[in-house]
Amino acid sequence: MAKVKTGVSPRLSRMLEELQEGVEDGLVPAWIFNDPELFELEKEKIFSRAWVYLAHESEIPKPGDYVLRYVLDNPYILVRGEDGVVRALLDMCRHRGMRVCRAELGNASHFRCPFHGWTYRNDGRLIGVPAEREAFGQDFNKEEWGLVPIPRLEAFDGMIFGNLDPEAPSLAEWLGDIRWYLELVTKRSPQGLEVLGPPQRWVVHTDWKLALETFLSDSYHTLMTHRSLIELGIAPKDAKYAMYGEQIHIPGKGHGSMVVGAPPGAKLPPFWGYPEEMLERARTSYPTPEQFETARETRILLVTLFPNFSFHNPIRKPDHKYQGAVPMLTFRVWHPLGPGRIEIFSWALVEKDAPEWFKEKTRHSYLRFFGSSGTFEQDDTEIWSHVAHNAATPQGRHLRLNYRMGLKLEPDPNWPGPGVAYGLNFTDANMRNFHRRYLEMLLS
Amino acid sequence: MERTQALLNCLYQEAELLDEGRYREWLALLAQDVRYQVPVRVTKERGPEGGVSGVMEGMYHLDEDYTSLEMRVARLETGFAWAEDPPSRLRHFVTNVRIGEPRPTPKGEESEVRSNLLIFRSRWDRPDYTLLSAERRDVWRQEEGGWRLARRTVVLDSATLPTHNLAFFF
Repeated sequence: MAKVKTGVSPRLSRMLEELQEGVEDGLVPAWIFNDPELFELEKEKIFSRAWVYLAHESEIPKPGDYVLRYVLDNPYILVRGEDGVVRALLDMCRHRGMRVCRAELGNASHFRCPFHGWTYRNDGRLIGVPAEREAFGQDFNKEEWGLVPIPRLEAFDGMIFGNLDPEAPSLAEWLGDIRWYLELVTKRSPQGLEVLGPPQRWVVHTDWKLALETFLSDSYHTLMTHRSLIELGIAPKDAKYAMYGEQIHIPGKGHGSMVVGAPPGAKLPPFWGYPEEMLERARTSYPTPEQFETARETRILLVTLFPNFSFHNPIRKPDHKYQGAVPMLTFRVWHPLGPGRIEIFSWALVEKDAPEWFKEKTRHSYLRFFGSSGTFEQDDTEIWSHVAHNAATPQGRHLRLNYRMGLKLEPDPNWPGPGVAYGLNFTDANMRNFHRRYLEMLLS
Repeated sequence: MERTQALLNCLYQEAELLDEGRYREWLALLAQDVRYQVPVRVTKERGPEGGVSGVMEGMYHLDEDYTSLEMRVARLETGFAWAEDPPSRLRHFVTNVRIGEPRPTPKGEESEVRSNLLIFRSRWDRPDYTLLSAERRDVWRQEEGGWRLARRTVVLDSATLPTHNLAFFF
């Protein structure tokens, strides 16, 4: 691994060395979870070069449909042009830098700047400048002054990602083998997914890495953080339910997945409890029989993409009295706002060709357990807030946190999917892999 | 006048129960067929007809019925609901109450009640606090034993919420 570079302050360089020394041994300095100087480095080295999730194509199905999304605090208009092409245009007028779009979503054929009236088509071309000849003369060329597209924009099965780095590897290369696990959701039906509405957005005083960790590798927290739901019979009675199954990481990429089956003795329906017709569609929709077999045995699936996207797809039901299972699917972005501060963007999604009754029920399975008011997630955000606070305290900064769970586990040779798999979810393996990749990007 | 006073009393009594964390008693104020919704609100352009903007249909922060509200209350009683244990210090400021004309329905006489709400929330031993402002559009129904909340739509005055969770009721 690369040596810590000069150009960062001695204290930051000491922090990175501490992480570098500790990562293989499962020791992580607490202060990486709340530090202003590290946050600046993350902005430059990670978020300015990573593929960041922006939107799902079903949010902007028709020409002119747009949503406003962010990479760091750069606002991008994600808009489908009249030609059907989706673009991400920096929401910054080329004249004086004003926002040309201040709504979060809508449909527009053009964007007109409220400052001096420069008007752009929804493909980014500048088409109108008030008093153009009088003000700018004959040789003014509007073609040179269109909205600036994001340097890179690519999609995978309807998931749209942007990248600020023109030299970045392709999205397919960035994702690598995690695609096999993404496809367990994106290719469950031939029609793919659709969002159930706009994202919930809310602010949490925590670090993006801490939030992400819960969805990348932390099955272990469910038995205590989410004990209330076990007491209510919402989560399986076996408090160690999230331990069973595989934890998989993609070396060199930082991505990871957790694939959890039914706890021993628990009578849970196959295939997350999705309706039988969806199971039958999946049989031919999945690219490989191994993916179908894996999906049939899955009750909880999480996938986290480096650096800040996760999805969670657990078996659930709309409330504690509902008979039967109604799984839910949520996508989320852990959007970094500042040191120790994030905004969560959280969407609910469902298969486009799912039965209508199921779409309604799955929305409830999502709202009541995840998202801004979710009875699982509200305890997560409480806890993340305190950890981030402690991480920034003078004494807290000296502590190294324990990421040693599963340090001696041997990989599972029989797992049919790609990546390095362990046959037990109580391990920090995915997080150690994340930190390797995190360091690699910070130091390169 | 009697009806107006009775409904005002309901709103103030409800705020007291919510501020004091007496959630079982609060459930008793709800009709069995209650619909309780907090829609997601987004920034959108002004519509030609005016009115509130950006209140989305289809996506919510809360979309509850009696059973799911009862589940949320039961959760708070488990002793493991960390988001509200220790509890927040909440204050529901209920103002601008507007009471509509009563109308008979097969389930009993109903009245629209709109109110403005400012929720103050402070947690832990820190001096920080959160304020959430909203309008509540309610329907209250006269049932045996008094008025019950049959429907509530909360129109938030935030797009991105300035709080780490909605572990309380509006």
